[in-house]
Amino acid sequence: MEQELPIIQIRNCLLVSIQTELHDRLALDLQASLMERVRVVNARGVILDVSAVEVIDSYITRILNDIGKSVRFMGAECYIVGIRPAVAMTLIEMGVELDSVSTALNLDLALERLELLQ
Amino acid sequence: MKTVEKEIGSVLAGTISSITQRSIFARMGSLATTAVHQLTPSDRAAVMQELESSLRLFARGNSMQLIASCARVLNPDGSGSAAAANGGGVLAPKRFPIEQEKDIATARLEAWSEAVRIGLSKFASVKVATAVSELARNIVFYAGKGTVELRSLQDERGVTGLQIVASDQGPGIPADRLDEIWSGTYKSPRGMGKGLMAVKKLVDDFQMDTRLGAGTVVTCVFRGER
Repeated sequence: MEQELPIIQIRNCLLVSIQTELHDRLALDLQASLMERVRVVNARGVILDVSAVEVIDSYITRILNDIGKSVRFMGAECYIVGIRPAVAMTLIEMGVELDSVSTALNLDLALERLELLQ
Repeated sequence: MKTVEKEIGSVLAGTISSITQRSIFARMGSLATTAVHQLTPSDRAAVMQELESSLRLFARGNSMQLIASCARVLNPDGSGSAAAANGGGVLAPKRFPIEQEKDIATARLEAWSEAVRIGLSKFASVKVATAVSELARNIVFYAGKGTVELRSLQDERGVTGLQIVASDQGPGIPADRLDEIWSGTYKSPRGMGKGLMAVKKLVDDFQMDTRLGAGTVVTCVFRGER
């Protein structure tokens, strides 16, 4: 089944809410369309909402880091918001790093911080 | 008759609207009106897949709990009467074939619900689900196919932990690759190359038997705080 994650624009930020299982194809498509949208709308930030994601393993971490890197190459900042406490604890214990993205507790705070960058 | 629709309906009652429930059951087709005890393992997987994708959309906050409750209702060998009837003895292991990416999600979910069922804490259950996710992903990425087996460990005082066995007949892991994996320098083309290391850090016991050309078996145990 062909699917694509909807990208929502809020002012000069792009927002994606991740509600489905990420896999190679979907992640690459998302990465490509985010980079294109960042260029077209001159976005300052990209926000990925993972509050509906119950488990983040090293593969998903790699995908998030890759998206973060590509967004940074375009000159925008990538925020991951809504990481659940149990997910955060697990990531720490596993020793995998989310180092190519910024994080914020929720969408509101991420938007606030991106505004501050003006 | 205890149909899928009736049983799942009672789990979902009050959490998502009846209109949404009807649309979920409509997508299941004839499976919705099949008796729970007549479901084959593949039927059950199909029902769970539909429930998982729908509940993630419609019941955001507590979707994992709801999905786990649904899995319990659909699995007659799980909690409740069957477990009580055999006096709390050793439960039969649950085996899940892993062949494609959607099987990773199924195994992860089953592991999560099993961890909750045997009384592991919420955090420990997420760790279990994450470890199973890593192991199942390794099977799909590197071996093509294999199985994940979940077994509750018990003694006379009750459940003592959850054992996970992930096995495949894939290519095995060469010695130099293993050195890289355990020293943290391995770079995987698709992932981070840190999956096995992550599992080892998450679990209480970790054992791996890998043979070139014959396959890999990872056995690990969560004891966890309860």
